[in-house]
Amino acid sequence: MFKDLDPILHSQLRLSIVSILMSVDEANFTFIKDETQATSGNLSIQVKKLQDAGYIEVKKTFKNNYPNTSLSITKKGIEAFENYVNNLKQYINPK
Amino acid sequence: MDKTELTPEQSLLLISKTIEETKERFKEYGSIFIFWGTLMVLVFGSQLVLSLLELYKFTMLPVYLFPLGAVFTAIYAWREHKKKNMPKTVIGNVLQNIGWVIGMNLMIMGFLFSDILGDAMGPVFIILLALMIIVSGLSVKFKPLIIGGALLNLIGLGSFFIDRDYHGISLMLGAVVGMIIPGILLNIARRKNNV
Repeated sequence: MFKDLDPILHSQLRLSIVSILMSVDEANFTFIKDETQATSGNLSIQVKKLQDAGYIEVKKTFKNNYPNTSLSITKKGIEAFENYVNNLKQYINPK
Repeated sequence: MDKTELTPEQSLLLISKTIEETKERFKEYGSIFIFWGTLMVLVFGSQLVLSLLELYKFTMLPVYLFPLGAVFTAIYAWREHKKKNMPKTVIGNVLQNIGWVIGMNLMIMGFLFSDILGDAMGPVFIILLALMIIVSGLSVKFKPLIIGGALLNLIGLGSFFIDRDYHGISLMLGAVVGMIIPGILLNIARRKNNV
């Protein structure tokens, strides 16, 4: 039914992750986990899918001796998100 | 969560809700407005009392609380950022930088150029503060901050018409209207959203 909609983005959790990253410069894994209320395991899988698609960038660093994973959206991710929203609008208001 | 098949309407709703909720996070700085508003009332109130007691030599002393306030704010913001895993945002960075640039200029003006600025010192101080609050309010789309900032701006412009001796009262009134009340409302809005 929704064949024009990007299958990578057309998933509740992945869409939430990308929506959060669209409104921030970068966010760490814990923040996204709190905001989406997803489990760490599920979130890791969806983050990997978005990373493999080139939509987000994942940086693993250390902050005060603790591992810190920060995520940010890529240019490709922004374009995909904008296309996705435009396609959604066409479904809702077809002209 | 991931297994749910979304309709286009649900997708758009999810996007707007997520973006809105992320932005709501930036209403967590109400305490900083309350802190600076209270500090201003304390500093300018003390100056007024010292002037009324004709202790003019000591009227600059309370102003030294401002640099201490800046240090406290920097530590508080850093700790909150760390504790709550606050993400970096363009709006957040712009507001932070505007706050520091205007804050530093206000302090430099107060400490070094108050004699040159003379009667204009109080009104200029209030107008610069109003500018910072209006920009913050417009950025986070929070009406009490916009209204508080606009009222502060009017108080600043109105202060050009009153005697310098009463500028302290204008500054205290401005702190209450433009910082303490919007700060309290910001905290209330944040708590409501957290419920």
